[in-house]
Amino acid sequence: MAKTKQKKDTAPRQVAMVFDLNKCIGCQTCSVACKTLWTNEDSTDYQWWCTVNTQPGRGHPRDYEAMGGGYRDGVPQPGRLPARREWGGGWDFNYDEVLYGGKGNSTFLQHVGDEPEWGPNWDEDQGAGEYPNAYYFYLPRLCNHCTKPACVDACPRDAMYKRSEDGIVLRDETRCRGYQFCAEACPYKKVYFNFLRNVSQQCIMCFPRVEQNVAPACARQCPGRAVWFGMLDDAEGPVSQLVNKWKVALPLHPEYGTDANIFYIPPVGPARLHEDHSFDEETPRIPREYLESLFGPKVNAALDTLTTEMAKTKNGRKSKLMDTLIAYWWKDMFKPYDRDPAEIKWK
Amino acid sequence: MKVVKLRLANRTLLDPAAAQWKKVAAEQVVLGATPLHKQPSGHVRAAWAGKAIGSVRSVKVQAAHNGDNIAIRLEWLDDSKDLDHGDGTVFPDAAGVLFPLKGEAELESMGSPEAPVNAWFWRANLPEGEAQELIAKGVGTLEPAPKRQTEARSRWYRGRWQVVFSRPLSVRGDAVRFSARKAAKVAFAVWEGSSQERGGLKSFSKVWQELSIQ
Repeated sequence: MAKTKQKKDTAPRQVAMVFDLNKCIGCQTCSVACKTLWTNEDSTDYQWWCTVNTQPGRGHPRDYEAMGGGYRDGVPQPGRLPARREWGGGWDFNYDEVLYGGKGNSTFLQHVGDEPEWGPNWDEDQGAGEYPNAYYFYLPRLCNHCTKPACVDACPRDAMYKRSEDGIVLRDETRCRGYQFCAEACPYKKVYFNFLRNVSQQCIMCFPRVEQNVAPACARQCPGRAVWFGMLDDAEGPVSQLVNKWKVALPLHPEYGTDANIFYIPPVGPARLHEDHSFDEETPRIPREYLESLFGPKVNAALDTLTTEMAKTKNGRKSKLMDTLIAYWWKDMFKPYDRDPAEIKWK
Repeated sequence: MKVVKLRLANRTLLDPAAAQWKKVAAEQVVLGATPLHKQPSGHVRAAWAGKAIGSVRSVKVQAAHNGDNIAIRLEWLDDSKDLDHGDGTVFPDAAGVLFPLKGEAELESMGSPEAPVNAWFWRANLPEGEAQELIAKGVGTLEPAPKRQTEARSRWYRGRWQVVFSRPLSVRGDAVRFSARKAAKVAFAVWEGSSQERGGLKSFSKVWQELSIQ
């Protein structure tokens, strides 16, 4: 059974994003920017192409890291589909009754239907550890537009492809027949199903914006200057500098083997406190083993670089890395994708 | 397999519950699983390595025409009526009838560029009455046929799906032709949604059957 078509699963150029987890305040502005732009239709109600999860935490969908997919040593790994209840979200509320039905003084606003048991941000700020050394941080997650996309590989219909001009992973919805092999294969579980239209959907990296030199909404709308966007091969750009030169930006779960293109500056975290509440500078509050479990062993070198460079500025010296991470000039975070979308007449 | 002539209105012919179907001779067609090693993706092969494909082992087939339309009625045992995607981990039940468009198309691969196949496809979550009419030229190449001329009606009754496909006997374009002079080739497939069967994961009749118009 020879395939009649060549898979379009590689691209010479690749866009990428870097999230600084030391700067992310978990405000979900990225999630909402995406939501209002792309997933405000029926059956996309439960879809959050960008979510910010609290770590340690079970993520979204719940316990996605145990659902398989991706590759180990280049070998495809079995994956499973998340159940709708593992996504949660998209709940219905009794708005009509309370807001328009004359029961505003006698009925509480409440959800309708099955008791919610999970949602996109269900375990927010729970984290781990014990007072006074409790810890958590935020992890924005979206489609990784992987260099080796398991979703593209899994589709028997070649409905999915990587665009050669920028490596964005897209789906031809006219070819998609809703088999969801892509969702099974994605180890990050960032593929959603549209139950009404019978097609899978995921983050499209705001490609219509990117084509007009406008950064994706999640990146541009970040009020914390925590996101950089650009071509990975733009050697002078901040994305390449952080990923390739300084090596302080790392993909989530590199062991999944898909070569993710969303990168994270790992959280340095505050110092631990001794029982007498004096600082314990020797032991990181966020256990290194935990960060290694998320970002792989390279997280140690990344954190060492970050602390070394931070110490430089603390001592009044200059650090180009710190200048980049501080992001004095907001637009520099996206160049050349820094065009104002309000200037554009969108079709 | 004979396509018997019945004096029936098109509506009745398309009705899986119509009493007249009881008089039509039925053939029990054995189905087998699609081979896992031929699934076109390593991820599908990995995910299904320990799972059984092909839950439905046989399908009862009847065929009739009224001079204008031809109808094929399929009936199979199914304890679980999967009308939709349920909790997100199941698929709607489905069935298909396949014809070579010309000569001897390869059945297991769903045809080839040189020898395409024509499929009538019913899925439990399609609007009632609707069938998809598709053309395939090999694995993963299904495309909607240029013109949709096939309808399907279904009912789930006492643990069985009953599905009738119907199409005008004479049509234009890329679609299988029926003639009293020459038997058509036909094959059948069933997808068990509760077992996550979809796409190439299905039960199918492994050899072409003959369909002769009476």
